[in-house]
Amino acid sequence: MGTIAFSNVSKTYGGTGGVQALSDVDFHIGEGEFVALLGPSGCGKSTLLNIVAGFEMASGGDVRFDGGGVTKPGPDRGVVFQEASLLPWLNVWDNVVFGPKVQGLPKDVYEPRARRILDIVGLSQFTEALPVQLSGGMRQRVGIARALVMEPRALLMDEPFGALDAQTRLSMQELLLDVWQKLKTTVLFVTHDIDEAILLADRVCVMKARPGRITRDIPITLPRPRSIDTLTDPAFTGFKAEIMAEMRGAHHHH
Amino acid sequence: MAAITDTGVASTAPARAKPSGVTQRVTKIVLALVLPVLLIVAWQMGGRDGAIFGGALPTPDRVWKAWMLWAFGNPGFGLNPYAGTWMANVVASAQRVAAGFALAIVIGVPLGILIGWSKTVSALVDPSIQWLRPVPITAWLPISIAIFGISGLGAIFLITIGAFYPIVINTTQGARDVERNWIRAALMMGASRFDILLRVVLPAALPSIFTGLRLGLGIGWTAVIVSEMVAVKSGLGYVLWDAYYVGRMDVVIADMVSIGLLGYLSDRLIVALEFAALRWRRMQSFNQ
Repeated sequence: MGTIAFSNVSKTYGGTGGVQALSDVDFHIGEGEFVALLGPSGCGKSTLLNIVAGFEMASGGDVRFDGGGVTKPGPDRGVVFQEASLLPWLNVWDNVVFGPKVQGLPKDVYEPRARRILDIVGLSQFTEALPVQLSGGMRQRVGIARALVMEPRALLMDEPFGALDAQTRLSMQELLLDVWQKLKTTVLFVTHDIDEAILLADRVCVMKARPGRITRDIPITLPRPRSIDTLTDPAFTGFKAEIMAEMRGAHHHH
Repeated sequence: MAAITDTGVASTAPARAKPSGVTQRVTKIVLALVLPVLLIVAWQMGGRDGAIFGGALPTPDRVWKAWMLWAFGNPGFGLNPYAGTWMANVVASAQRVAAGFALAIVIGVPLGILIGWSKTVSALVDPSIQWLRPVPITAWLPISIAIFGISGLGAIFLITIGAFYPIVINTTQGARDVERNWIRAALMMGASRFDILLRVVLPAALPSIFTGLRLGLGIGWTAVIVSEMVAVKSGLGYVLWDAYYVGRMDVVIADMVSIGLLGYLSDRLIVALEFAALRWRRMQSFNQ
């Protein structure tokens, strides 16, 4: 459940002679795995996520989610957007139950679930607040709760903490580690922050631009459960040096 | 967790102390009355023996008297059309505006949402709307009379046409400007096409829709007066023209002031609805 498989996937914008956003991407995410896509802007990492989400179609190759082809978005793949993208006219509660409601789930199924998830992300006291009344970090908690309430088989996160200040980002990373350790959902996490990728992921896929491709797939063998303290672990620094070297373009394959 | 433990919900109270609500409101009303009062005083002082401009127009005191008779006078045997008939005419015009305006909303809002949402519907319908739009409502009068004769239906027809354009155009604009990620988020959560139109595009377009409603209602009042002047035997537009023909300029002016008041009050009603419906929008804007 929650496996993602890319074979020879390419994406070109603007027809023949257009910009090649992705070229020959081959990779696989197993059940319950946490994979980070790391790269500079323009390397196609968000395009890759949008293809899994069903927001965009690949120009070539094959994309599978749990063995089936991806043709459109759906609640089996919960997406967390960079700026949360909550519906601003709905309060926190209505944003979170939007999915179950439009799917026609019965109230007695989704209401306790929504309450539990709002509790996990620490927003139980703010159900009546409008998104505009919340801080950026709190908005993103709602974004995560809105995705989790659908009990998706995979969580697709597109630079979800990129717009937050450093301190809030750390607390959101810890929250995500907590949640993931409890739920063990497959996660595809797009970021340009090396520390964030290493701290969170089981594997870091390093991407490069022109054309967008995955150049290295590095397993992060740091023990779990992880926390902010992991950031100061000597092994962490080792991974960081390896990834930085890869991103600078020094190819020293083992 | 700083965001949650410190202030929690961001405060919406202004930082600077402002004068109390009542004082502010009274000041506003006084300021609003300055120009009308000056105008009335100058008009009264400029007249002689109850008339101004060489007798072409009555002074305010005579207008007031005529208005009071028109509003509260004893209609008697109906020999004086300007005694006690004000309310009936106000109701007749207001009902027509309400009916035509409601019809324009029922047609214009869903159509605008579809035009804004679907390129096909836009290509199919939008050019025709843009070709018909420059035709002024007055040019529709002959067709209106040909179809509906001398009746209130013709007025409703004209109001609907006049109010329809700003409503449909503003709704279209609002529906086109919906943020892509709101749609994507709704799709991700399993929303159907209909759910997206109803629960995302419509609320997102609401600020533009209200702009269209206010413009449309203004045109609706123009349309009702024009059509009642020509093709209906009741309402404020009918009285306006009829009074002019028999030389009752005092009634004409009282009638004009009545139209202005009704237009103003109905606009306030829309603004109040907008205020209640767009709390989220208001809190986002700089000038709360």
